[in-house]
This record gives sequence, structure tokens and C-alpha cells, in this order.
Amino acid sequence: MAPDIPLISLFLASIFTSNILLANFLGMCSFIAISKDMNSSNGLGLAVVVVLTFTTAVNWAVLNYVLIPLDLVYLRFIVFIIVIASVVQMLEMIIDRVSQTLYLSLGIFLPLITVNCAILGVSLFMEIRQYTFVQSTVYGLGSGLGWWLAIMALSAIRKKTEKSKVPAGLQGAGLTFITIGFMAMAFIGFTGLLQVQ
Amino acid sequence: MSDAAKAPGAIMKQNLWTSNPIFMQVLGICSALAVTNLLSNTMIMTIGVVFVTAMSSLTVSLLKSLIPRKVRMVVQTLIIAFYVIIVDIVLRAYLPEISRNLGPYVGLIITNCIIMGRAEAFAQSNGPVLSFWDGMTSGMGYMGVLLTIALVRELLGFGSLFGFQVLPAGFEPWIIMVMPPSAFFLIGLIVWIGKTIMHRQGEPVLEGE
Amino acid sequence: MNKQSLPYTVVFSFIVCFVFVFLLSLTHQATSELVQLNQELRQQRAVLRALAVDFETDDQIRALFADIEAVEYDDMTLYRVQRGGETLYARIFAGSGVWGTINGVLGVDREVTRTVGLEIIDHNETPGLGGRIDEPWFKQQFTDKPLLDGRLEVVREGGTEGQDGKVDAVTGATGTSRSMQTILNRELERLQSVLGGEA
Repeated sequence: MAPDIPLISLFLASIFTSNILLANFLGMCSFIAISKDMNSSNGLGLAVVVVLTFTTAVNWAVLNYVLIPLDLVYLRFIVFIIVIASVVQMLEMIIDRVSQTLYLSLGIFLPLITVNCAILGVSLFMEIRQYTFVQSTVYGLGSGLGWWLAIMALSAIRKKTEKSKVPAGLQGAGLTFITIGFMAMAFIGFTGLLQVQ
Repeated sequence: MSDAAKAPGAIMKQNLWTSNPIFMQVLGICSALAVTNLLSNTMIMTIGVVFVTAMSSLTVSLLKSLIPRKVRMVVQTLIIAFYVIIVDIVLRAYLPEISRNLGPYVGLIITNCIIMGRAEAFAQSNGPVLSFWDGMTSGMGYMGVLLTIALVRELLGFGSLFGFQVLPAGFEPWIIMVMPPSAFFLIGLIVWIGKTIMHRQGEPVLEGE
Repeated sequence: MNKQSLPYTVVFSFIVCFVFVFLLSLTHQATSELVQLNQELRQQRAVLRALAVDFETDDQIRALFADIEAVEYDDMTLYRVQRGGETLYARIFAGSGVWGTINGVLGVDREVTRTVGLEIIDHNETPGLGGRIDEPWFKQQFTDKPLLDGRLEVVREGGTEGQDGKVDAVTGATGTSRSMQTILNRELERLQSVLGGEA
């Protein structure tokens, strides 16, 4: 049974209160590495939004029209990964044809995205929660926007803390994790505002 | 990698400590941090990761001379996905409760960068036995860090260890430990402690980014 | 043979895919029956818990479940058990939580004047927040809880112990608590409509 959840609360919750990165820990690898630089963060964030929205929609269709009718749901991990890799590849080709400037700013990030756990994670959540097509797409879009917001916020904070004096062992990854911890707390604070969780 | 570093003991020390995938390279945390609020879930999840890393390194190493270059990454992904699906099926059949708790995170082992990283960096150019060992110890380095986090989170968040109440009934659980931010704080602290000890010992510290 | 040639690549990829998928389907076939059994057992366990029937081992669950009658009322399946001269009923429900469907079982007495027990079968609520509806302290609140005007209220401020028709909400999980209240009251209404009519 598909749950009856208002789209607007699904959308807002996936951006703020249950941010895919801060609450579900997905997409951390590229997050830590890329957030050093704000321009790259912006590019990668945008690419994640586009890829997440597309792949969640495509995976929904594949799941409901192919895997479930053929009773092959146990193969979903492989199939989802293949779909994600192909969608990323296609987007890369389309962007290359359509706009060179966009390709230069977005294209280099696309291969990184195939192995971003947030993408596969959203598809798996969509499957477990039995969302409808519209719910899945909204959830994919919201999660992407949430990820973009989180990486932009973190890279801005890192820019400020870059020059600060911290104990040697804390520099780099250690400080970044603690910063993310505070961000996660702040995002949970949205709960009271949004009344969705 | 120098030849001296290829002895099994040296590989183990490297994977468990000096280049521990989590606190030195900050890899592969995505798929597992979310399950660190209970020790038993973390245990099963990380055993799954150790199994997948070891077996996929072994398989990649066995097949390395047969895999055409063009499809190398695809075949590696397929091998990893194969073992992850096996883990998923086994959990569903024999540990249904844990499988339900882990939810989508079992599937996310596929995107764990450690596994692909070991297959690419080590198994591709080493023999099957060493690759298996390398994969296993990498997985164990990862297991160690996650179990430490889970230990603190479960103890303070629920007052229990592996589900057994160990703190007295009057203990007020720290809700924050059950919630996501605590995992970030703890991993930050672990990275800090690990790096500081390494600085003291004068080990060369990899830049963990 | 040239390992980088196109025919080799195609044949190799095909064989690898075939072998892996074949092995997976074998494993899947071998365990699917067990998975099915696990699911049944989980549902039976939930029904027993909602009816406050004590059990320890899995075998006991099967044995005790065999004593429970499944009765049909207007296309609703109710599970009925006799205890201490009283007839108790339970029904499996499904309703929307914050993130996905919450499935569970609610047990009530014959006149629907109190709940006998609540058990959650599965849910997708946030771990540590809404997910705490699956913790014993939350579910135990429904053990022999008298209703107030046939309804339940999930109270945010807490401290509801001993008050009729009121249970504590999960701290910080307003949405899930509200969803639970809606789902449970809808269930109670349905149960009243079929059971109340017979009294």
C-alpha cells in the first residue's frame, strides 16, 4: 500500500528535518572531499539534484513495471546501480551536446555521482516505503536540494574555519565531522517549525 | 606500494591503523553510520562489509587477468553487488529482525568506497590470498571504528550493550546519542584522537580528505 | 586471444552476468520459503502480543496462534481469543506515518471499551524519533488502557499514566505521534462498528 503522505510535507522534510546527508548519513564521501571548495560544491550539488530526481523516477518505473511483475525484486541492487550509471552517462552526453559551458561546470562531477551513496539510498528508501511515482519524484528532488543546501553550508563554514588555529589532530577531517554534527543538530531544529516529524 | 609493505603483518597494521579507511582516509562512512545506534545492528552490518570486501577482493584478484579493461569498473561493481545481494538474502532468511532494522543500508554497502577502493588499488595487482587478507583487514579497520561509535551511542543512548541493560535503572538516557548528530561528533573525536596519537608516535600522517 | 577485442568483451560480460545472476537466483530460491515463514511468524507474533498472550519460543507462537480464531466481519479479518471469561479481538492495521506505511496490530475487548495491546509490525519512521513507537515503553501504554468515549488521545506533554484514553507521545516526534492517533482512532471506529453492533 502506498502511504498517504502530503507532498508538501514530504518535500520539506526531505530538505530540512530528514536531510539525506545530515539525518541519513548518505553521500558523505564526496561531501567531505568536495566541500573544501565552494565552486565545486555548487557544481556537484546541482548535479546531485538533477541526477537524484531523474534516477529516482526511472528506478521507480523499473521497479514497478519490470522487477515486481517478473518477481525479480531481489536483484534490485544490481539493477538500480546499472540504471544510475546509465542515467548519469546519458545526462553527460546530453549536457555535452546542449551546452559546453554547462558541461564544463557540471560534467566533471557526473562520474563522481554514480558512486554517491545518496543516489542509491534514495532509490532504496523509495522502494522500502512504497512511494507512488509522484511521491518518489518529489522525494528525489527534495533530497537532492537538501544535499545541495548541506554541502553549500558546509563549504561556507569550512572557508571560515580554514585559517583558524586548531589542534593538529583535529585539522581537516576531524573538525569537518564536528561541524557537520552541529549542522545536523541545527537541521533537527527545523522540526518545530515544519511540524512534520 | 613497496615490496616490504606487502607482508601480511604489514598489510594488517596498515589497514587497521596507519591507513585505516575511516579515520585516515574518511572513506565509506555513508553506508554504516546510520546503523551505529545499536551494537547488534552495527556488528551484523560490519560483518557484512568485511565479508563483501574480502570476497570481492578475492574474486577481482582471481578474475583480473580475464577482465577486459573497458568493462573493468562495471565488472567490479557487479561482483560487489553480487556479494551484497547474498548478504541481503541471508539476512532476510536467517536474521529477519536485523534485516528489518538495517533497511536500505545493506544495499548501500555497494556504494561503500572502501570496497571498490581495495579492489581497484590492491586486488587488481596482487594475488588472491593477499587480496582476500587485504580486503578482510580493511573491513576490520572499518569495523573497529564503527563498533567503538556504536558502543558509546548504545551505552549512553539506551543504557544497554547488545540489548542488555547495563546501566542502573535510574540512568537518564541521552536522547542526543540516539539521534544522528552524535555519530558525527563521535567520529570527529575518534579521528582527532587517532591522528593525535599518530603525531605523537611520529608516524607519517596521510592527509585525510 | 585478444582480451581487449570487442567480441571477447561482449562474451565475457555476458558470461559474468549470467553466472552471477544464476547463482543469485539459486540462493533466492533456496531461501524464499524461509523468508515467507519468517514473515508469517512475525505477523503471528504481533497478533499474540496485541492480545497480550504470553509466549517464549517460536514453536509456542505457532501453537498458540493455532488456538486463535480468525473471524470475518464485513470483509475485515479479526483475530478472536477467549481469556478469563472474556472475548478479545485484534485486527491488523495499516496507516500512513510520516515517512511511509505503519503496519501493526491493535487488540481490544468485546465492547471496545479498552485496548488490550498494541504491536507494530513494521514502520519507516525516523530512527530515534518517530521510530520509538516500536519501543516497549510506547507499546506497553496500550496494555489494558481504558478508552475515553471510545477514543484515544496521544498527549505531547506526557504524564498520562493512569488516565483513561490518554497515552504519552514520543518526544520530538509530533508527526508520528499525530499519525498514530489518527490511525488508532480510525481503527477503533471500525472495530466499534462491527463489534458494537452485536452487543
